[in-house]
Amino acid sequence: MPREIITLQVGQCGNQIGMEFWKQLCLEHGISKDGILEDFATQGGDRKDVFFYQADDQHYIPRALLMDLEPRVINGIQTGEYRNLYNHENIFTSKEGGGAGNNWASGYHQGKSFEEDLMDMIDREADGSDSLEGFVLCHSIAGGTGSGMGSYLLETLNDRYSKKLVQTYSVFPNQNEISDVVVQPYNSLLTLKRLTLNADCVVVLDNTALNRIAVERLHIQNPSVSQTNSLVSTVMSASTTTLRYPGYMNNDLVGLLASLIPTPRCHFLMTGYTPLTVERQANMIRKTTVLDVMRRLLQTKNIMVSSHARTKEASQAKYISILNIIQGEVDPTQVHDSLQRIRERKLVNFIEWGPASIQVALSRKSPYVQTAHRVSGLMLASYTGIRHLFSKCLSQYSLLRKRQAFLDKYRDFPLFSDNDLSEFDEARDIIESLVDEYKACESPDYIKWGMEDPDHILTGEGNATGTVDPKLAM
Amino acid sequence: MEDKRRVEDLISELVHRLCTNSSSSSSSSSSSISNSNSNPNPSNVRYATRILSSRMTPSISTDEAAMAYSIKSQLVKQGKLSDALSFADLYSKFASKTGPGSVKNKWAVLYLLKVISDDRNINRKPHSDSTFSGGLPALFEPQTNGSLARVLNDSCSLNDDGAVVIDNKVNGHSGSAKLQNGGVLLISKDPENLRDQAYRDFAALVREENNVSEEVLVRDVLYCCQGIDGKYVLFDESVDGYMLPDTIRVSKPIRIMIRKLCELGWLYKKVKEYISETVERFHDENVGTVAQAFCAALQDELSEYYKLLAVLQSQSMNPIPLVSENASSGNYLSLRRLSVWFAEPMVKMRLMAVLVDSCKDLKGGAMAGAIHMHAQHGDPLLHDFMKRLLRRVCSPLFEMVRSWVLEGELEDIFSEFFVLGQSVKAESLWREGYRLHSAMLPSFISQSLARRILRTGKSINFLRVCCEDRSWADAATQAAAATGTTTRRGGLGYGETDALESLVTEAAKRIDKHLMDVVYNRYRFKEHCLAIKRYLLLGQGDFVQYLMDIVGPELSEPANTISAFKLAGLLESAIRSSNAQYDDPDILDRLRVKMMPHNKGDRGWDVFSLDYDARVPLNTVFTESVMAKYLKIFNFLWKLRRVEHALIGAWKKMKPNLITSHFFTKLPKAVKFRLILTSRRCQVLWNEMNHFLTNLQYYIMFEVLEVSWANFSDEMEAAKDLDDLLAAHDKYLHSIVEKSLLGERSQDLYKSLFILFDLILRFRSHADRLYEGIYEFQARTMEDKTELPKHSKKKSEDSESWLSGGRKAITQRADEFLRNMGQDIDAVSKEYSSLFKGFISQLPVQQHIDLKFLMFRLDFSEFYGSAF
Repeated sequence: MPREIITLQVGQCGNQIGMEFWKQLCLEHGISKDGILEDFATQGGDRKDVFFYQADDQHYIPRALLMDLEPRVINGIQTGEYRNLYNHENIFTSKEGGGAGNNWASGYHQGKSFEEDLMDMIDREADGSDSLEGFVLCHSIAGGTGSGMGSYLLETLNDRYSKKLVQTYSVFPNQNEISDVVVQPYNSLLTLKRLTLNADCVVVLDNTALNRIAVERLHIQNPSVSQTNSLVSTVMSASTTTLRYPGYMNNDLVGLLASLIPTPRCHFLMTGYTPLTVERQANMIRKTTVLDVMRRLLQTKNIMVSSHARTKEASQAKYISILNIIQGEVDPTQVHDSLQRIRERKLVNFIEWGPASIQVALSRKSPYVQTAHRVSGLMLASYTGIRHLFSKCLSQYSLLRKRQAFLDKYRDFPLFSDNDLSEFDEARDIIESLVDEYKACESPDYIKWGMEDPDHILTGEGNATGTVDPKLAM
Repeated sequence: MEDKRRVEDLISELVHRLCTNSSSSSSSSSSSISNSNSNPNPSNVRYATRILSSRMTPSISTDEAAMAYSIKSQLVKQGKLSDALSFADLYSKFASKTGPGSVKNKWAVLYLLKVISDDRNINRKPHSDSTFSGGLPALFEPQTNGSLARVLNDSCSLNDDGAVVIDNKVNGHSGSAKLQNGGVLLISKDPENLRDQAYRDFAALVREENNVSEEVLVRDVLYCCQGIDGKYVLFDESVDGYMLPDTIRVSKPIRIMIRKLCELGWLYKKVKEYISETVERFHDENVGTVAQAFCAALQDELSEYYKLLAVLQSQSMNPIPLVSENASSGNYLSLRRLSVWFAEPMVKMRLMAVLVDSCKDLKGGAMAGAIHMHAQHGDPLLHDFMKRLLRRVCSPLFEMVRSWVLEGELEDIFSEFFVLGQSVKAESLWREGYRLHSAMLPSFISQSLARRILRTGKSINFLRVCCEDRSWADAATQAAAATGTTTRRGGLGYGETDALESLVTEAAKRIDKHLMDVVYNRYRFKEHCLAIKRYLLLGQGDFVQYLMDIVGPELSEPANTISAFKLAGLLESAIRSSNAQYDDPDILDRLRVKMMPHNKGDRGWDVFSLDYDARVPLNTVFTESVMAKYLKIFNFLWKLRRVEHALIGAWKKMKPNLITSHFFTKLPKAVKFRLILTSRRCQVLWNEMNHFLTNLQYYIMFEVLEVSWANFSDEMEAAKDLDDLLAAHDKYLHSIVEKSLLGERSQDLYKSLFILFDLILRFRSHADRLYEGIYEFQARTMEDKTELPKHSKKKSEDSESWLSGGRKAITQRADEFLRNMGQDIDAVSKEYSSLFKGFISQLPVQQHIDLKFLMFRLDFSEFYGSAF
């Protein structure tokens, strides 16, 4: 009963980061490109069966489903050096191969039409595991397939596997460069709605921040997609280390997420990682201590979500929860000292409506991957400042929507037929309420929030008049 | 006068006879004899008379051989080598003559001859006739006179040289006899003889005063000193000593002296009694080898004493001369002389008696220690004596030390050694098998050395019994070689404490190192400690999780219905499905389920625990009481884990994607608010509880388990012997117990902790009920939503009213349900916060443990800051 996790890689971006992720896992577990365990990798004390299973010939197969509506990326994988790693039954490409044309509605619709095929794959994989813990979805929210088909999959999974966890690694588009996908705001908004309603945890990977980190921290002038993807795979593999190297705590996904997400709505996590390097770039070796690592993790420049907030708002942003996963040789007493230092310097603002603290998980480092750093750390945090990212999405959407631009493409698909654009409105309302909820978390009166100001509670009923029983307000 | 006349006549006749006899009988006589007349020479007679009446005692010792030698060497000096040779020949014949009729006082005869010869030489040279001048030496006892004549006769007839002497003497004496002033008269007028007369009177007085002669008393004393009653001196029970009975009349000084001298006898008797008593009991277990050695040593000392007594006894046969000024010389024993002779043995005997006294009821090391106490003596004589004695007494003890330290053998059938063994089970051999018997620890071995000795032998035995190891012998041999001693018996003795210490140190060093090697490498101590940490202290997270998952439902049953067998099967499958499966089968084999004794009403949770079978020899470290502590820790951690598991289960129930906002939109406002409020309360409370639990777990992990383990690892590296290791492990365990609030002094905290845990478990059921209610409710409204269009198309009004009525009922019920749940949750929340405040306020006042870290973690964001 290894609490298996099934990874769904959807769309171009999803498959790219997924591939990087599996590459990294193979390296860390000493699994060769063909899925054969390397001779040196027999005594790792690691747990491979969370993410892999063994075929009859003992070679390891990732519990991964590769899905795309166009064959380019997946073909690349199938002809690449890791082609023998995956189970070929788990690869889905649309027969037409036309893709979703960066249209969320197209991706969603195609997802619906291929539901049977897709769910067959998912069910088969789920049946193959003893005690399925949940699903991990890798996708981007801006394109067509990852966002559209991903959204559809989220809804379906929620329906069919409501007791299982659904975690996503969602890549948010780079806001600083003009995208060739003009309908990106639409796609993002519609996907965000599903992420809010149908996912248990969303790890936000902001391309804006990833690019910034690549430029500022790694000194790469024009970071390539594979370079930013390697950052993503680092984060993904680091966030799963406690599942793969069992220790005292955080041995399962649910335990990991539960304390990060005390309020169900606020399940968007931002990440930070230090020290960062990309492939074969080891020119920035510094002394790494636990304190260094923990302090750097709190610095915005290492955080993989861009902050769109104005300074005043930013100063009000609060952490709901923080989990630092520290890898490497760490003396447990150093953790205490570091926490004390951080507390003394008041480096973190926590919510005021409940107790909170920096949780630390110490995890082993893979013995097969040589790194120049003694200690590395990943931060997973629930941070109210993330609402500015959603606000930005909302404002971009509003701009586009005001002009009624590019809506025709969406009207071609059933969800928006008959010029029914209520889906957009509903999504906007949900995102707005999400932003409000995050904002409410910044105040100490979060528990009573929504009582004094009922108009903003939820969507659709903003105009409804309702009186609150004074007894209820306590 | 008549008598004197007769004596004179007799002497002159003797002189005459001697001289004529010699001349007539010896045909080959010398010229000097032939010169002499047939009539006794008056000067010769006078000389003889003078010699015979002399009472002077020689001042030299009565050594016959020495006298013969001195005569011989005198002859050699005078150049008469052949004479010297023939003298030697004659002397040997003379000396060999024994039996009746032979000369008894051979020495005296020789001396007489020598003196006469010397006298003649003196007379001859300066003034040949002055016979009165010059100190005449020795006088002889009257009773020897008769035999003297015979001897002279004999010697004259045999010895031509002797004939010369006699001839000369006879000549001198006859000269004085011719003067008619006869020897006795002359002598009585001599001032010497006046004194002599006084002595004689004194002697008579003494004889009159004492019924018993001194010789007899001396002999009696000697008897007494052998523990035998004498003729007169008897052992008197009433005074506990040898006494001369009052009926016997002796002078007071003599009586006192006898008393004093007989002290030796008393002492001897005491010592002897002890020895014989002890020897009789040799087969009795109470005696012991040290006591045997002591007896043997005492007996040796006594045999020295016997030798002395034998000599004295032989001397006591010599009669005591009448008191005279010459009384100091002579080969006899008087009481006074005896007291001199007894001076040394008395001291020794006294010491022995004291030792015997102080050792009477002691044995073994205690005895050696008691004897050692008397060895600290400034008198070199006594010091040497004690040292000699102790060397013998301690030899069995040192032999025990040696065989214990090098062979681990406890050769101690009489329990004399300061290491005490008792037969115990192998697991408690180290802790209880041997201990120091402080009563048997002689004071010349220090406590620390004794402890080292104890440990070294214990290590060997531990290796032999528990580890079934044989290779320690090499270490022992090396140790012996390193100190220059050998492993054979009797290498050490009393007074070589340094050698002993270095032997013990070396042996301890090597044996301990060997033992550590065996424990670490062959029995993989560290691996087992790690295994215990992984399984019993829940370090192997995935294993614990599966175990919790599969055992959980079983443990919710009443304790008496649970089958341990089934749980063992579940444990097995938890091992198989977690990473534990890759662990050493030997380690996994030792892991088992243990059901604690249960009371009525206990659930499985209360009695379930894991156990680790350490087996010999590691169960020396992991004894039952140690394992009990581990189990206690396990139960605490297990409970903590269970509560955490429950909380996470609750989270799963209320996890984000289960409640969709579609559902909210369809609700009337009031109910919606209540729903939101209730669920948010629930979430916030959940967050608080979760925060508490996770941070408690962090505290346990970082501050308790890992830190203690890190310290333990360091100490494990540094441990030199098993005791160190045991101490380190005890410290490790103790620090975990104390810091996890399981110690005696933390009971209050622990209790409130458990109340909190139970509350959290209760919260879980409330939360579960709340969310189940919400989901049910949600499902109903969803049905409505999907059914609504269909109904509205068919029979809109009816269904509308029915539906709205239905919805109303549902909503009403939901409202009621939510209200109740809200109250329940509020109650839990209130209880929780008061309990938690109680708990957290106890933390800073704990004196014995540092709970700063826990405190600081629990209030990291200073949320509770205002609470205290």
